[in-house]
Amino acid sequence: AAEAFLRQQRTTPNLRKLVYGTVAAKEIKDEEEEEEELGGLFRVSRPETSKKRQADGLDCSRYPPDGIHNWDQEEMLESIRDCFVTGKWEAEKDAS
Amino acid sequence: MCSNNNMASQCLTYEGCNFLRQRLVLSTLSGKRVKIRNIRYKDDNPGLRDFEASFIRLMDKITNGTRIEINQTGTALFYQPGLLYGGTVEHDCNPQRSIGYYLEALLALAPFMKNPIRAVLRGVTNDQKDPSVDTLKATAVPLMKKFGLDGEGLELKIVKRGMPPGGGGEVLFTCPVRRCIKPVQLTDPGKIKRIRGMAYSVRVSPQIANRIVDSARSILNKFIPDIYIYTDHMKGASSGKSPGFGLSLVAETTNGTFLSAEMASNPQGQGDPVLPEELGKTCAKLLLEEIYRGGCVDSINQSLVLLYMTLGQQDVSKALLGPLSPYTIEFLRHIRDFFQIMFKIETQKQEEEQKGGEKVLMTCVGAGYSNLSKPLK
Repeated sequence: AAEAFLRQQRTTPNLRKLVYGTVAAKEIKDEEEEEEELGGLFRVSRPETSKKRQADGLDCSRYPPDGIHNWDQEEMLESIRDCFVTGKWEAEKDAS
Repeated sequence: MCSNNNMASQCLTYEGCNFLRQRLVLSTLSGKRVKIRNIRYKDDNPGLRDFEASFIRLMDKITNGTRIEINQTGTALFYQPGLLYGGTVEHDCNPQRSIGYYLEALLALAPFMKNPIRAVLRGVTNDQKDPSVDTLKATAVPLMKKFGLDGEGLELKIVKRGMPPGGGGEVLFTCPVRRCIKPVQLTDPGKIKRIRGMAYSVRVSPQIANRIVDSARSILNKFIPDIYIYTDHMKGASSGKSPGFGLSLVAETTNGTFLSAEMASNPQGQGDPVLPEELGKTCAKLLLEEIYRGGCVDSINQSLVLLYMTLGQQDVSKALLGPLSPYTIEFLRHIRDFFQIMFKIETQKQEEEQKGGEKVLMTCVGAGYSNLSKPLK
């Protein structure tokens, strides 16, 4: 149990940092991205930078799976077996 | 992505058109002004699109005294929120996005209105981008009930179905108002006891819906026998302007969690035609993927549940979610900007049990937001 607690301690701040901390990191990266100038008059605009894709991306709450698991495989089907009432139940609970 | 959190000016500045809805929704709820700059400023066709303009008009309709300024090219938007008025609203949603796009914002705002909302939305009911009205009806509405929004007042009805690109669908949404929202403890999703679904077809052969049902069942039957997929074939005036078909699946657990997946056919004249069998199978696999992600809330409703938790009474709320979607992560950052509330985020690993991927437990203390504009009776 102590080990599990320690492991959780390690992973928790990471996720929190991921959500709340990356904003600052991203801003720094943006500043580094300098625009090239051509002859001091025209600026080269690179439309497909990763930052732009995020800021002007599709406003959508759907979460498309980046790599859908292969659900034809038996092991994958096994991995969610206990999410169903037909799966294994915890000792203290009963299918009443 | 520059967030200028200056308390004195109470004006938040953002860049880009993404997350426009959540920014305007949170602005309206918190009363903070929002400025959004550089909207598609490098695009060949810069500025706000028609669907975004349509969304802003809808926000204007449900509020009173909102000030909106858009510059000439449409690349900058200033939004000063007014009072959430509600009442009867009719809106023609731009068919570039489905009604789900507009409805998601209404779901978030509805409980905090002065008058209960009764909205008639016209446009596209099902498309490939946004959560469809069928899915929102099956997942978001039961979720809202858990926060104490119940009774006959809460209804989402599909009057007419409309597929892209033509649209022509119609949806009725009514929701009661609440002074405050109940805190929730959604920590145990329970086990899936049944799967329901809706296979719809408009302006194509009604047989297509049956073909979808058979193929989806062939995959899901390995897990559970209690599967019923309704077929809905709308005719005549209620079938909208364009042909199409699709499937929306929902898995219901013993604890009242609803996990969903959906797919729609390609819009007429765009892309290759999809076989109904193929669509049914892919959609069933998407549902398995969603079950693998798991949690007490479906991935499309993550931000809705987090919003209600934030605005709940000053008490601890907990929700177990699947992996956070990029949209939800951005929403959490926006909640911090607008309400200064940060969630406690803990990962939970399922050991020895076969229950899919890692889950995330989100905990927060509500802001104690109360709806002061709700009239006393």
